[in-house]
Amino acid sequence: MTLGMELRYRWMKDVALPVLLKARERNRRKGSIGESPLGPPLESTRSLKRLMTRHYALARYAEGARPVAWVTSGAPVELLRAFGCYSVYPENHAALCGARRMGPEICTRAEEAGFSRDLCSYARVDLGHALSGLTPVGRLPRPDVLFCTNNICQTILYWFKELSHREGIPLVLFDTPFISVGEGTPEVFDYVAGQIKDAVPALERITGREFREDRFHEVLRSSIRASALWGEVLATMRHRPAPMTVFDAFVHLAPVVSLRGLPSCERYYEGLLAELQERVSRDVAAVPGERHRLMWDNIAIWFALAPLSRLFAEHGCAGVAGTYPNAWAETNHYLDLADPFGSLAKTYALIFLNRGLDYRLGLMEAMGRDYQVDGLVLHSARSCKPYSVGQYDLRRSLAGRLGIKSVVLEGDMTDFRTWSEEQARTRLTAFFESLDG
Amino acid sequence: MGRTAYLQGQKAAGRKVAAVWPARYPAELLWAHGVCPAEVWDPPAGQALAGAHLQSYVCGIVRQGLELLLSGGLTTADILLFPHTCDSIQNLGSLVRDLVHEPRPCLYFYPPRSGRSERAAVYLEAQLRTLSADLTRIAGPLRDGALEGALALGNGRAAALRHMYDLRARGALDASNEEFYGAVRTCEYLWPEDAVLHLEAFMKTHAGRPRRGVPLVLSGVLPAPSDLAQRLDGLSVAVVEDDLLACGRRFARALLPEPGDPWRAMAARLLALPPCSTAGDSVEDRASFLAEQVERTGGRGVLVLALKFCEPELFQIPSLVDAMRGRGIPVLAVETELGNSAPAGMMTRVEAFLESLP
Repeated sequence: MTLGMELRYRWMKDVALPVLLKARERNRRKGSIGESPLGPPLESTRSLKRLMTRHYALARYAEGARPVAWVTSGAPVELLRAFGCYSVYPENHAALCGARRMGPEICTRAEEAGFSRDLCSYARVDLGHALSGLTPVGRLPRPDVLFCTNNICQTILYWFKELSHREGIPLVLFDTPFISVGEGTPEVFDYVAGQIKDAVPALERITGREFREDRFHEVLRSSIRASALWGEVLATMRHRPAPMTVFDAFVHLAPVVSLRGLPSCERYYEGLLAELQERVSRDVAAVPGERHRLMWDNIAIWFALAPLSRLFAEHGCAGVAGTYPNAWAETNHYLDLADPFGSLAKTYALIFLNRGLDYRLGLMEAMGRDYQVDGLVLHSARSCKPYSVGQYDLRRSLAGRLGIKSVVLEGDMTDFRTWSEEQARTRLTAFFESLDG
Repeated sequence: MGRTAYLQGQKAAGRKVAAVWPARYPAELLWAHGVCPAEVWDPPAGQALAGAHLQSYVCGIVRQGLELLLSGGLTTADILLFPHTCDSIQNLGSLVRDLVHEPRPCLYFYPPRSGRSERAAVYLEAQLRTLSADLTRIAGPLRDGALEGALALGNGRAAALRHMYDLRARGALDASNEEFYGAVRTCEYLWPEDAVLHLEAFMKTHAGRPRRGVPLVLSGVLPAPSDLAQRLDGLSVAVVEDDLLACGRRFARALLPEPGDPWRAMAARLLALPPCSTAGDSVEDRASFLAEQVERTGGRGVLVLALKFCEPELFQIPSLVDAMRGRGIPVLAVETELGNSAPAGMMTRVEAFLESLP
């Protein structure tokens, strides 16, 4: 890290980027959205765009000024923040590539290098980006460290190992044993906590910075608060009519994934929550004339987010709950400043994707009741096995327990070569009609 | 004797039977509890019943294993054991217990991914004790010396396998690829003493005649997805070694020293297995292991039999291929599927690869 790079980073962060972003917003013409079946858009979306654009723009200047880490979505980022690392989330970047409909183009680069088209499309986007530099965000900084936890899938381990091998970047891995039964054992938590403790000297070596416990505690406090705020944001959708939809949640979860532990993340969710609470107080509906309330299972179909959102709304259907957005509000209550390493182990080992399907079924049932859901849409994501294997039976079980109808959409997160828009529209329309039935 | 009849015989002799999904698990612990493992890799099952539970993009091992279970093909088993080998097997284990409501005990085993560290060994040992507690409830407690006895059985089987692989590598085993792997894979269900007898009889029958064909090392998952082993025999390929997930990469061939603490020894046995994608080992380690196999056996190239939808392998193959080529070792990776006959296009690629070998 050089002084010149540090000064450039600070100048961009504090002076140039704020000016550039304001100018960009001023110059952006307001496009006509035409006739929309949706309610008024959230004001906070502008702040979100500013926040995330700034995050990716600043990332380019972080290289050489800050230790840069590429991080998996379920990793204990709080530890990295204590070292002042700049974090980039390849999964978030892949989602962005998906939303900008660049998935197949970038995936193809990975496939040309020998990676099977059957592999996770987030991984193919990331490896394709590493091979080609293709990205909608200009450029991602080269990482100094890869920071990986396999609590969301084993795939992420193979993916980050491959990245580490190809790019020659050190990998810090936290192995979180899958909790098939019960609430986890002391052996599991000791094993995970031990690995997190082991990462401290490794990160000191890689970053050249000392671990500061006071900074670590500060980050933990911020992370706890951000996740709690995110939980409150999601909970506003319990209101009838829902003030936002699960499609909004997919978009607005970016900060809690990518910026958790930073003050900007807390500030953002304070603003979003205030806006939603105000909508609730005035019964402002995200879907005017809301007739049906639906739960979405699995990651978003990023490239089809807007058309799906409109299609739902055209039929008076509001997506009001989602297992995926809920994941970042689910376990942070375990975080405890009195036992930071042990509680981080619990927080990250106990997320629903790292637990048996019985737990997931219970979680979905509870969400279905809490959010007064009368239908379920399951995205069977071709390239995400841990989320998708078991969905057919979850669907049957939930139908029995909640008495709700459901539909399965075969798709993917980013790779729209496997997606048939017409087929999806037909299936959903038939499903919506059956709800009216 | 067929597999089912053999397993029924085991039960008649007072042992329990555990249906075990791939790939790595502590067989010695099951033996110590008097449980005979019977592994479920590529049973000759369709996928009609499994299709109601699993998407078409799930690998054949998972789909056919579930099909076998749902169609009543695992009635001999008293226990189902699911090692957490990959996301799909992990979810299958949960699906079977939680949502299909399998009434028999479903047990789980998580091979650590944090390298071969002391921390991994400690966690592994703790898991072995937990699994033993579960097995105690089902099959009864461990008798005095049962663990040491099981480790000795493991050493006996490892020695027999090593001998058989050595004979083949030295060109002193006149067995087709199909025959060789047929014999090795009896270890998937035979009680270890029976496995040793079977392997020794096989070596006796097939010993002493020279090897024929192009010497190749096999990598990938299974030696015979579909009819590939026979097709390789037809192409005069003489497989001399393998790091197949179903065979060389997870049947121990190294002997354990006299165990001090048997729990530690069992953990050490698992941690000492060859580098593997499913264990999160690096591609460098795997490439070095394969290169050593090639050098030791005089293999002229490596044929990688990738299995469709097998994520751990499919992630590693591009770099593995690069690493082998970087070492000057010819390599071909082909994608295979369970159940279907090896497609003509794939066999043409294999033929062209064989012709290109130096």
